[in-house]
Amino acid sequence: MNDRNRHSDSNRPRRGPSGSEGPSDGRLVEVHAQLSRDKDEPAEGFSLTPIFIVFLFCGFGFWAGVYLTKNAGGFSASAFDLDAPKAVVGGGPVVFEPDVAKGEQLFLANCAACHQATGLGVPGAFPPLAKSAWVAGAEDRLIKAILAGLAGEIEVNGVKYNGNMPNIGAGLKDAQIAHIATYVRQAWGNTGEPVMDTKVAEVRKAIGNRAQYVPADLLKEHPLETK
Amino acid sequence: MTQDNHSGRPQGRPPEGDGRVSRVEASLRGPFLLFFVSAVVWLLAASVLGVIAALDLGSLQGGVFRDCPWFTPGRVAAAQQGLFVYGWGFNAFFALNLWLLSQLGRFEFRNGWLAQLGGVAWNLALTYGVVRVFAGELSGFRLLDFPREVGPVLAVAFLLAGFWPIVAFARRPTGHTFASQWFVVGASFAFPLFYLLAQLLVLWQPASGVVQAIAHSWFVANLLQLWFGASALAAIYYFLPKVLERTLTGYYLAPVAFWTFFLFAGWTGPAALVGSPVPLWLQSTGVVAAAMMLIPVIIIAINVHGTLFTQGGWTRAWNDTTLRFVSFGAAAFTLAGLLGGVFAFRAPSALVRFTSFGAGLEQLLVYGCATMVLFGASYFVLPRLTGALWPSAKLVHVHFWATALGFVGALVAWLVGGWQTGQLLADPAVAYADVLRAESSWFFMLTISAVLLLVGHVAFALNAFGMILKSSAPAASGRHD
Repeated sequence: MNDRNRHSDSNRPRRGPSGSEGPSDGRLVEVHAQLSRDKDEPAEGFSLTPIFIVFLFCGFGFWAGVYLTKNAGGFSASAFDLDAPKAVVGGGPVVFEPDVAKGEQLFLANCAACHQATGLGVPGAFPPLAKSAWVAGAEDRLIKAILAGLAGEIEVNGVKYNGNMPNIGAGLKDAQIAHIATYVRQAWGNTGEPVMDTKVAEVRKAIGNRAQYVPADLLKEHPLETK
Repeated sequence: MTQDNHSGRPQGRPPEGDGRVSRVEASLRGPFLLFFVSAVVWLLAASVLGVIAALDLGSLQGGVFRDCPWFTPGRVAAAQQGLFVYGWGFNAFFALNLWLLSQLGRFEFRNGWLAQLGGVAWNLALTYGVVRVFAGELSGFRLLDFPREVGPVLAVAFLLAGFWPIVAFARRPTGHTFASQWFVVGASFAFPLFYLLAQLLVLWQPASGVVQAIAHSWFVANLLQLWFGASALAAIYYFLPKVLERTLTGYYLAPVAFWTFFLFAGWTGPAALVGSPVPLWLQSTGVVAAAMMLIPVIIIAINVHGTLFTQGGWTRAWNDTTLRFVSFGAAAFTLAGLLGGVFAFRAPSALVRFTSFGAGLEQLLVYGCATMVLFGASYFVLPRLTGALWPSAKLVHVHFWATALGFVGALVAWLVGGWQTGQLLADPAVAYADVLRAESSWFFMLTISAVLLLVGHVAFALNAFGMILKSSAPAASGRHD
């Protein structure tokens, strides 16, 4: 405690016109302005500090960019929670719901030219879908027919047709085919279960890019369910 | 402890005749003393309220004053904060910033009455605001607690009282500038801007929904960093080389520190809102800004601690009253920057969110850094302005030890207590009443600290007022030893 009091600053040179402690303020500014221009004092020699600091601060900048990219919720004004950003930003994982209305639109655009909007087909040329055992029961049969098409003799509701159905489904998305199949299975008095897009994807993967089915072969894979 | 004050060292500069007060300083005397005296009066008032607030909060039954609405913790704490920040912090930095830039720019102040008018207006508006706070008419926004009509008056008073450092800077005789000047000019420009914008968005034309909270958090961060932080840094950058008679280590890095400090500080506000329903990008920007504040903090640490660690700087700083306070403040600034960067991140911030931890970080900057630097600066400046000595070296030591211990004790209570409370809150097995009981045990320490701070501040005020009174009575200026 005592040496603190013995410590005196009276032995230090007093510079500056005001004769105060330390260097004068003008000199303080001048010396530091000089330091700013000359960088390091030459006596210090080469110092690793500046280069280390440059790398460190570049690292900070890089980290800041990464952090903002990962944690800013896409800079969306409606993203609030880091734990569930996707559910808020993009509306979440889309849950498929078979939609009869969408199915009807797609049916009219892709199928009604042959099978007619009534689902009754054209006698002698195109087989009906209404009350047809082909579209009811196992959904694989219907999906396969839509995806790959049919070529050959086909008997529907007791009437024989020489069918040639192109692979319409190859140009449609899984969800679109699911909507169409659901519509076909539920319109015109049909009472089939709806079809999910995952089922369509499964079948598409299983059959690959194949030629049209011969109706008799398709029946061997999926026999008609008799009521 | 024997006191042989022949060195003049905590006593300040010996007058040695009457021509020692320079013309620059003589021109500053009036406004400086007005600001300084009002600052110390507010400091004393805030310290008394600090003790009352600690007593209030320390008791789960509501404290001694539970039947008197004027002294309930909500009002007392708000009034205490208002007086400490706007009464002590602003008046004291009006005085110090003006003195600093007048010295560095060799500026002779000719329109002292304008600054004094601003000072009187500032103090009157503050008094009115505090009375309204005691009457229970708080705005509810921390640090903007005063009723809204106080805001414009404070802003105008700031332009009259706090804008002179910029005039002094503009009239400096040489083209060279020094780090202290940058920080003071930056702080003096920034405060009126963000204060008026915050007044507008929070109180006058309240922005809808969370924008109000965002504007408020932005204001708090700006007030802490750009006014208290920047003003304190200006003083640190000045007093270290001045008293140590040495240049600053790595000074050529200081411009980077200045620009990154002002670039990132304004963005740190939303870091306080992590986890609340404000857009994710704002929260993350706040976190990034708080972490990027490490750049200026590291550079300032190189400048300041680099200087202190070479050639026995710490020993000399410890043995000099001014530098002992100033280097305490510099260490507190570094600690505040590091902790602020770390605890802005989501995981630690989630743990301490609803605890006293945030108050601890705030006080680290406002008290540990800014106030301690202001004390140190007072020991340097006042003897030069008054031409008198500090009357009692004993009171200087009481001042340092009471404030240093009181502050460190309070800091431990806030930070460690906050951390502990956070852990208890996160544990679903602990009942909330037990959390409160654990938290209230820290308030005993906070009360002791508040009393210590009051003792230190009274010692400081006695010393300072004794010196000012002595200097204004020339016949009594005989006691030089």
